[in-house]
Amino acid sequence: MAEKLEPAKVLYCGVCSLPAEYCEFGPDFGRCKPWLIENAPDLYPDLLKEANEKGADKVSDQLQSVGISSGGADGAQSSAQTGGTSKKEEVKRLPGGKLKKKERQEVIIEKVVRNKRKCITIVKGLELFGIKLSDASKKLGKKFATGASVVKGPTEKEQIDVQGDIIYDIVEFITDTWPDVPERSIFFIEDGKKVQAG
Amino acid sequence: MFKKFCLEEISSQNQVKASVQRRIRQSIHDEYPGLETVVEDLLPKKSPLIVVKCPNHLTLVVVNSVPLFFCIRDGPYMPTLRLLHQYPNIMKRFQVDRGAIKFVLSGANIMCPGLTSPGGVLDEEVEAERPVAIYAEGKQHALAIGFTKMSAKDIKSINKGIGVDTMHYLNDGLWKMERLD
Ligand SMILES: [Zn+2]
Repeated sequence: MAEKLEPAKVLYCGVCSLPAEYCEFGPDFGRCKPWLIENAPDLYPDLLKEANEKGADKVSDQLQSVGISSGGADGAQSSAQTGGTSKKEEVKRLPGGKLKKKERQEVIIEKVVRNKRKCITIVKGLELFGIKLSDASKKLGKKFATGASVVKGPTEKEQIDVQGDIIYDIVEFITDTWPDVPERSIFFIEDGKKVQAG
Repeated sequence: MFKKFCLEEISSQNQVKASVQRRIRQSIHDEYPGLETVVEDLLPKKSPLIVVKCPNHLTLVVVNSVPLFFCIRDGPYMPTLRLLHQYPNIMKRFQVDRGAIKFVLSGANIMCPGLTSPGGVLDEEVEAERPVAIYAEGKQHALAIGFTKMSAKDIKSINKGIGVDTMHYLNDGLWKMERLD
């Protein structure tokens, strides 16, 4: 008998559901971008560049305001100097800062709608606070009287999928159950953007 | 076909008789010999095969709430795109050029020039009225399932009008119906 056919693994976009390579033709490429930068940076190398450039613009805006205020205190010459040096530092730090962000202790909560009416709440990052995911999944299922399971996400990292929309109560539950998780470390993904829960 | 397809369109959903199940399994098996080693996993004899009848003579074959194949009237069974993505080599393939992608993804049928231009690829063996997987220039995965209106040779020589009817495409109603429960 011939060897069994192995199903191919396809990376589907967590936002629009298409194979990630088709996001650019999808209903709303803009919304997919943050997900793609996180999960499929190789497919759209330009996105990362774009994001970094935007970040750099922001930094230089901030620097300008810093420069102006310090200029008032110390005179124009020194302000130009400090402005110059700090700009260099900030720009250098930026790529590193990006990397650091990925490892930061955060819990990310995302609601995903399946089949129009069914929806799943995805919880990522609890393990970064030393919480056992299988344990957390059981607690979540019990608390919200629903199905919860630990699954491998698109990046092979484990996450908890909870059936149903529990987004309104979940923050309180997390901070009550695991006091080690501060509310400011909990984020929602809304319209592809990360929003602080607190 | 599935442009505006949703659960409300389903007119009946039945577990069919063993003999009918056997016939469906057999025709899928005959149409896609490449699936031979996994057909028992996909359509396990233990799990009931659900046949969903929809308007426009459309039939869906559903196992464990997941739509796997569809057919129109007495036409051949065709896999859903998610299934094809898992087993990409079970179907003959055409490729459209990059410019055609957005039209295919809005449900348009596939015009010959989109297949014969430098970005397109035709499998010359494909006859008229056959299921075919539609790929796209620069992309790895299929974006549509089509049914040829002309043979690949005619598409090439006539090079005018619709070459392939688009049956099912990424983000259409069937794609959005990942599960049916
Ligand atoms: Zn997308």
